[in-house]
Amino acid sequence: MVSLHVNGERHEGADARRNLLSYLRFDLGLTGTKYGCGEGLCGACTVLVDGRAIRACLATVGSVAGGAVTTIEGLAVDGDLHPVQQAFVDDSAMQCGYCIPGFIMSAVALLSRVQKPDSGQVREALAENMCRCGTYPRIERAVLKAGGGER
Amino acid sequence: MSDSNAAGLTIRGAAGLGLPLPATGYARTAYGNVVPDFGPSTWLTVAPDGVVRVFAGKVEYGQGIRWGLAIAAAEELGLEPGDVEVVLGDTERVPWDIGTFGSQSTRHTGVQVRKAAATARQALLELAAARLDLPTDQLACAGGSIISTADTSRSVTFAALLEGQLLVRDIPDDVDVRAAADFSVMGHDWQRVDAVERVTGRAIYTQDVLRPRMLFARILRPPAYGARLRSFDGSVAERMPGVVSVIQDERLVAVLAESDEAADRAHDLITSEWDEPDGAISQWELPARLQAEARDPVTTQEAGDVGQALAGAAHRLEATYYVPYISIAPMEPRAAVAEWEGDRLTVWAGTQRPFGVRGEMAVYFGIDEANVHVIAPEIGGGFGGKSIYRPAIEAARLARIAGRPVRVAYSRVEELTWSTFRPAALITIRSGFDGDGRITAWDYHAVHTTTDRPNIGQRGSENPYACGDVRVVVSAGPAPLRPGSYRSLGCAVNHFARESHIDEIASAIGMDPVEFRMRNLPEPRYRAVLEAAATAFGWGTAAAPSQRGVGVAVGLDVGSYAAECVAIDIQGKEIGVKRVSSSLDCGLVYNPEGVRNQMEGAIMMGLGGALFEAAEFEGGRLLNGSFARYRVPRINQTPRIDVALVGTEANPSTGAGEPGIVPIAPAIANAVFDLTGKRIRELPLQRGL
Repeated sequence: MVSLHVNGERHEGADARRNLLSYLRFDLGLTGTKYGCGEGLCGACTVLVDGRAIRACLATVGSVAGGAVTTIEGLAVDGDLHPVQQAFVDDSAMQCGYCIPGFIMSAVALLSRVQKPDSGQVREALAENMCRCGTYPRIERAVLKAGGGER
Repeated sequence: MSDSNAAGLTIRGAAGLGLPLPATGYARTAYGNVVPDFGPSTWLTVAPDGVVRVFAGKVEYGQGIRWGLAIAAAEELGLEPGDVEVVLGDTERVPWDIGTFGSQSTRHTGVQVRKAAATARQALLELAAARLDLPTDQLACAGGSIISTADTSRSVTFAALLEGQLLVRDIPDDVDVRAAADFSVMGHDWQRVDAVERVTGRAIYTQDVLRPRMLFARILRPPAYGARLRSFDGSVAERMPGVVSVIQDERLVAVLAESDEAADRAHDLITSEWDEPDGAISQWELPARLQAEARDPVTTQEAGDVGQALAGAAHRLEATYYVPYISIAPMEPRAAVAEWEGDRLTVWAGTQRPFGVRGEMAVYFGIDEANVHVIAPEIGGGFGGKSIYRPAIEAARLARIAGRPVRVAYSRVEELTWSTFRPAALITIRSGFDGDGRITAWDYHAVHTTTDRPNIGQRGSENPYACGDVRVVVSAGPAPLRPGSYRSLGCAVNHFARESHIDEIASAIGMDPVEFRMRNLPEPRYRAVLEAAATAFGWGTAAAPSQRGVGVAVGLDVGSYAAECVAIDIQGKEIGVKRVSSSLDCGLVYNPEGVRNQMEGAIMMGLGGALFEAAEFEGGRLLNGSFARYRVPRINQTPRIDVALVGTEANPSTGAGEPGIVPIAPAIANAVFDLTGKRIRELPLQRGL
């Protein structure tokens, strides 16, 4: 049994072998992080661990127990949307929306390590996230805007 | 109906809007309950606190119907779309509806919502007229109030008008909706009304529905299509920690456990034996089998004498095109949660047909429909493929036996393997034409993989080009994978063959492909979209192959006209689509941002089927049932896309979600020919490079 920091709260008594995605969704009820493929290929389950984007479906609770986990639910502060969330809203960068939490987490991780990324950097960082509705042109635009870089 | 007969203002009207009722036997099996409830239903309420709610039997699976209906109601009531709450897909709250498919939501439901909101406006104006002692023609709706147009300081809020009221109005046949010239909300750009829920993770999809005491199910699936269970042993699985039981209900075998992982682990310990059918058709055999085993030909278009016209043609061309099966692959694998209280069943299911699923449940369990409550939460993509929705009945059967709520959630492998596929087709075209660029004969024969729904392949098979001697025949062929709905159904498949062949004719006579189409398309709406796309693209006239890598195609689906011009490059075995200039005429546009979003999405989705997607199968097994083996478009393949909306209010609203996928594959195939001189007649194109 380990303890885990999620969105600033400490959770005790988690099974270290428990799949991180299942733990977040079913044990903590944080269902904003999605299951898409279970193979780390679609990015729907992306969360941040100490600011780095990881695929929750491939992680165990024990593998991230030393770090601070941020899920989509932990991104807005006091009800104010994170600039990346706001940019997705402003550009209606979503259709069904199922992949969007994963895209936002990947984008937040990108912007924390690259200031004003250009189009090529955004595409490279988000190429492991999948959107079947094909909202890519809007997602790219939203992330560029949130980063304050090229339009 | 929990929201009718409530205090405030209730607007009622006929339900059952949407597709015309399916008359054929296939529809009854495919769509389940087609016993419609046309009875008056609540379409809109204004609560005593002034909040406006719209109720519709459609579901939201990405197409933005909540957004569009909010815009429609806001227009009539002087509100902003974000002020309107839209309730969808809950069989105990919304009017009966046959289902969300075929791009029918705006053209039918949207009109009814406008009428309902106009009826509410009239009722509110009459209340305000009495309160303010002014005639209704000197009053207007604005910002949740009725105001005097002469003196805007004189106003009364919806809430004040409805305090203590219980008013019910029926939508009159002759209710006036606002004219397009007066629109201040419709036709303008608005943010998506449900965006904040989607970016914060608060939007709840079926995969996210968690109920108290809920059990996690993992179902034993056959190793191959058509395999029948001979025997199984679940005794080891049943002793695993966290496992409640291993259940068998006829051919349905499942582990029920307290957690998803416990169910998955135990499932892998079930041993089973199956009888597999012989003679499963492989992907390699399918084209020849479609050719050899075509059956049930249906003539969808016939004029003149095509045999004679072909014999007398100055030039002739014959070519065969092949489109393989492709997977739908929505981001949310299908799921359902079922919960029984005595004989009353509640099911959360991300289906396009909540009322149809309600009917299927009632029939299966022999209970009254009134005892079945189906709730379609947010749906993580469907593209037509979530009409048939098996996990709902699976969850309900297991929950009935377990006596606890049960969640059935498909894995990615299950989603890809056990849903339906866009049908494969083999299409042969024989054409005749003269040297001046006139088509003189058109003989078209398509064989689409078909089980119970022949209309899938017939859609979009008719030739829109001027030609006096035409025969278009669509046959059914063997279907090793289960064909089903997919964005535009067979329409995009038929267009790939036809729009490729049209380019082949243009090239044969040395004419620019845009010019050739303009000469031969009599329909002005077709020519208008083609001209708009070509102009936006900056199309320069040249016969193909011009080595520029540009291509064009047009299309018609669900009443809407589309055209796309593309620019490509090729590096090794990768086709890069750099630009797409598209145009759409879908008549009156409610929500231009929504339509552009749908066009972009349809183009992106279509890139996959054009370039690299194909379901692979052999021996009754799907060989690429995972994202490791099934490639779909990614953000780094995104072209620059522009969308020109050229429709006008002169035509009623028609579909916007599907037409964009129709021209993209042939436009790219034509661009490959333009660049390389090589004509690829089989999808996906990258395999043919």
